[in-house]
Amino acid sequence: MSKIIAVHSYKGGTGKTSLSVNLSATFAKMGKKVCIFDLDFRAPSLFAILKTPNADHWLNDYLNNTCEIDKTLIDLSSRLSGNGKFYACLANPSTEAIRDMSSKDRKWEMRALGRLLALRETMLRDQKFDYLVFDTSPGLQYSSINAIVAADFVTVATTGDRSDVDGTKRMLAELYNLFEKKTGLVLNKVLDPSATAKKTEMQNKIKIDYQVPLLGMVPCFCEILRAEGNLIFVQDKPDHPFTKIVAEMARKIDNDEVN
Amino acid sequence: MIRNELSNKKPLNILEKIEESLEKLNDKMEIMIEIQKNGNGNNNQKAALSLPDASLDVMTLLSMPDHLRKTAMTICRCNRATAEEISEHTTRARAVESAYLNQLVIMGYLKKERKGRKAYFFIDKETQS
Repeated sequence: MSKIIAVHSYKGGTGKTSLSVNLSATFAKMGKKVCIFDLDFRAPSLFAILKTPNADHWLNDYLNNTCEIDKTLIDLSSRLSGNGKFYACLANPSTEAIRDMSSKDRKWEMRALGRLLALRETMLRDQKFDYLVFDTSPGLQYSSINAIVAADFVTVATTGDRSDVDGTKRMLAELYNLFEKKTGLVLNKVLDPSATAKKTEMQNKIKIDYQVPLLGMVPCFCEILRAEGNLIFVQDKPDHPFTKIVAEMARKIDNDEVN
Repeated sequence: MIRNELSNKKPLNILEKIEESLEKLNDKMEIMIEIQKNGNGNNNQKAALSLPDASLDVMTLLSMPDHLRKTAMTICRCNRATAEEISEHTTRARAVESAYLNQLVIMGYLKKERKGRKAYFFIDKETQS
């Protein structure tokens, strides 16, 4: 069944964008039709990571109601192996566009939510996309909450950092609970390698601590840091443990096994 | 035979008209109850009442009481729906959804339009610009 997935976190630097890109690419490698969206309008980064050619239309234009969604989609399927389809819909990185998006009022945000919700019909139903992946900005930004409301499933990335742990717990309890969203937690940059081995124990601990199920645990891999965002990891390093962890997360989401 | 059909149809028509009138009366009563509640000093709702086209954005959704948020979020997804359709999504009774939807209309978040016997609720994005 097709789904909209939002990838969110309380703090920045938790690995949202890396997770969004690699999860989307994994779905595409599984033969799915996928589109990744950059909803981090204050610090757009997907255009740099995906090294896309200059776009004529951006997600900003679609939300501003000045173009339809088809115009904003960039086909990147040739970058991946397999029969899947991989598209990107990017946020405009120009300073003027960032300033413009930062000054939107509540009524604009309400209409933007309507435009995001409309993607369910235009992209999932009509264009037969399997997955739309929203890469959001951290914290309680309008664009992020819009993405969460529009999504069917939310992946929350968190690290072991004390400030992140407390904020994430509060956000899950006070925001996600209110919207009754199906959520899976990704514990990223795990320093203790033995933690990933004690899967069941960690799953129970996470469920007690955060009150949401664990989608996956990602150890701190130096190779990812060394890549400096220059590659789609799951494509370029198919045998790396990170690729296998992301594949397991994608399989769980695809089979609705996050409980 | 024609006479028989007419005589069968007539009571049905009358009953349908009575039902329609009762529904309209019910809507009006819900509005009166809401106005009375606000008259008794709920400042938040009073503020919302003073905004005829209040925006139904995510921060507004967050600040709503749980029972109204569920209805409001469902109408956001459906765009335009009857109380019956909303109740299918929320699995609450139609009459309950009807009351909540009317409350959202009074608060300025939704618009309501009657088409025959059905009342449709929707977010008027045009006036909210």
